[in-house]
Amino acid sequence: MEPKTKQFNQGAALAIRDEKAQKSLLGLYHGFHAARLRAADATPNWEELRDHARAIKAHTVEHLDYYLAQVEANVAKAGGKVFFAADAAEANKYVVDLAKARGVKVVIKSKSMVSEEMGLNHQFEAAGIEPVETDLGEYVIQLAEETPYHIVAPAIHKSRQDVSELFHRKLGSAPTDKITDLGREARRQLRQKFIQADMGITGANFVVAETGTVVIVTNEGNGRMCTSMPRIHVAITGMEKLVPSMKDLGTFLRLLIRSATGQRITSYVTAVTGPRRSNDEDGPEEFHLVIVDNGRSRLLANPELRESLYCIRCGACLNACPVYRKVGGHAYGWVYPGPIGAIVSPVLTGLGDAKDLPYASSLCGACREACPVRINIPRMLLVLRRELTEGTAYPGQRRVALAERMAMRGYRMAFQGRMFLGLATATGRVVQRPLVRKGRIRRMPPPLSGWTRYRTFPALPKHSFRSRWKRGL
Amino acid sequence: MTTAPRDEFFRTIRQALGHPEGHTPAPSATALGRTRGDVDAGARHVREVMQRDAGPLLAQLAETANQNGWKVLRAPSLDTAADYVRDVVRRLEARSAVRTAHDILNRMKLDLRLADTGVALQVMAQGFGLDRAALRQKAIEADLGITGADYAIAETGSCVLIPRQGVSRLASLVPPVHVAVVERGQVLPSLDDLFTLRRDDFLSGNLGSYMNIISGPSRSADIEYTLITGVHGPGEVHMVLMG
Ligand code: SF4
Repeated sequence: MEPKTKQFNQGAALAIRDEKAQKSLLGLYHGFHAARLRAADATPNWEELRDHARAIKAHTVEHLDYYLAQVEANVAKAGGKVFFAADAAEANKYVVDLAKARGVKVVIKSKSMVSEEMGLNHQFEAAGIEPVETDLGEYVIQLAEETPYHIVAPAIHKSRQDVSELFHRKLGSAPTDKITDLGREARRQLRQKFIQADMGITGANFVVAETGTVVIVTNEGNGRMCTSMPRIHVAITGMEKLVPSMKDLGTFLRLLIRSATGQRITSYVTAVTGPRRSNDEDGPEEFHLVIVDNGRSRLLANPELRESLYCIRCGACLNACPVYRKVGGHAYGWVYPGPIGAIVSPVLTGLGDAKDLPYASSLCGACREACPVRINIPRMLLVLRRELTEGTAYPGQRRVALAERMAMRGYRMAFQGRMFLGLATATGRVVQRPLVRKGRIRRMPPPLSGWTRYRTFPALPKHSFRSRWKRGL
Repeated sequence: MTTAPRDEFFRTIRQALGHPEGHTPAPSATALGRTRGDVDAGARHVREVMQRDAGPLLAQLAETANQNGWKVLRAPSLDTAADYVRDVVRRLEARSAVRTAHDILNRMKLDLRLADTGVALQVMAQGFGLDRAALRQKAIEADLGITGADYAIAETGSCVLIPRQGVSRLASLVPPVHVAVVERGQVLPSLDDLFTLRRDDFLSGNLGSYMNIISGPSRSADIEYTLITGVHGPGEVHMVLMG
């Protein structure tokens, strides 16, 4: 997918003015966020689970080469095939070529963030193959030709009227204000696609190295449909989704689901190990697992950013984030929004164009507190800010921050020498005069205008604290 | 010399991790966890608990399953269980139903007990004159799917199905209503216990191709956080607990 990470400020400004978006974002807080807190409270050893999960992820990522080779061998033993794709183009080519070779016309898809990353649907369409998203939220997004608003609830910014209007326009269904009607209409439409489709595509919430098993968590049952009805199943996953053993799944399922929606468990947890066996009554004849790098090895190679690969995509950091809850999912401009997106998107798509993302945080730490695997997101945001200032080797990276470095140098000078500071503030008091209104500066000249575009700045007071102190306050 | 894309992929990862070229260090034995003997012992312990605590586990499951949206019946006998299924069929005015070949359904004499309801009951298994395509069509047309269970989980209110010969993937998924019959002694305390047993199955070569943990009706809150059921899977689910 073409990143639009450059347009963060525009996207954010749009969302902040959009009352409907603000309402649904508030809902995330009172819905998912509150439900997560309740679920964590109701899980007796929650904090230990988090420590345990983090240790498992750290271990797996440190031995990623070992566990990837294990997955490859065990999927093969189960009768499936693993393809390793260095980037989106390789992954797209493998999947689309496979579909063409097997004469596939309709592909049904259960939610897969990686396939969004790859822009797979466009590649299918270009090849004359119809891809159909089957998760209700993703289906709405696909019909609306938008990107997901939230990792867990992709269409949460749409009202029932929006969806009704969309279904009416795209599917010709009768307008309704009942959400049950909308659900029924989606079921009716998608049931036909499930029956027609020859290929099912899913993501993977976890891949168990020891057994070569792909684990998929859903509430609607579309993941089950995609892995039961068509004759070919292709699972697409980022290379970080591995866990060593089945015995780790209890911990991770609890943490993922309870952090994502606050449910004790989702309606369905599906575990797929290869294609159907010869005696099985049903299931796909072919199973393929596509394991995608697509920039993740850059996160892996940087010890300061490596822990971003522990992410289990629960969305809790989005719901907890005061910035995400104002600017919404589209402002982030790529597949992964919110605090974790602000780390992953710049490194995967190029930091140079995404330089607003690491700054889209007040570093309040709510994300880190919410994260079930205790990922230290604020620390990594600071790392990226530092890299932006100093310049690094990420693709598209420019040494952008000359002005910032100059400013910092001036700042240092000012605060190191008392005389210089006194001089600077005295000058400031004079220079600010035409700009001050009611004690606030509302508009500053460039290059400082960026600061005052969306907020005001307190004016320097008539007398400094230091001079008042001297006079005994 | 060009390297295969697969080798290139691994080379990049080794490089990123600072592992020596061409060498993948194996995790320590302690990190890899328990030995076969430990897994055996763990699995044996879980099986003991399932039998020893069968009563309390059933009671706990009844509660958690109910919270998850299952309609739960505690059935003291095979007859009460069969009567309950009959009532469901009657209420739905079901014309066709599919079922798995789980033995509990034979012991309930389900085919016989449903005969006078007029429902056409198809066993989703080959070797009854129908091939895979025809069976699939039966599932698509069915008003109701009836299955046994392979396990249940008290912690999460779930029924676990492990598709294989005689256990269709579709019977519990495609029809709009699902009835699952759970036997006494099948209930596991927690998710972890399930995976202990499944890991043991794997090491014995019995993992199979598929498993579903089913914990209530198909549901979605994708539009305005409003819960709706029956989006793709069954919107109405019943759990019959034997004993
Ligand atoms: S960073 Fe943590 S909280 Fe955010 S989506 Fe990933 S796992 Fe969830």
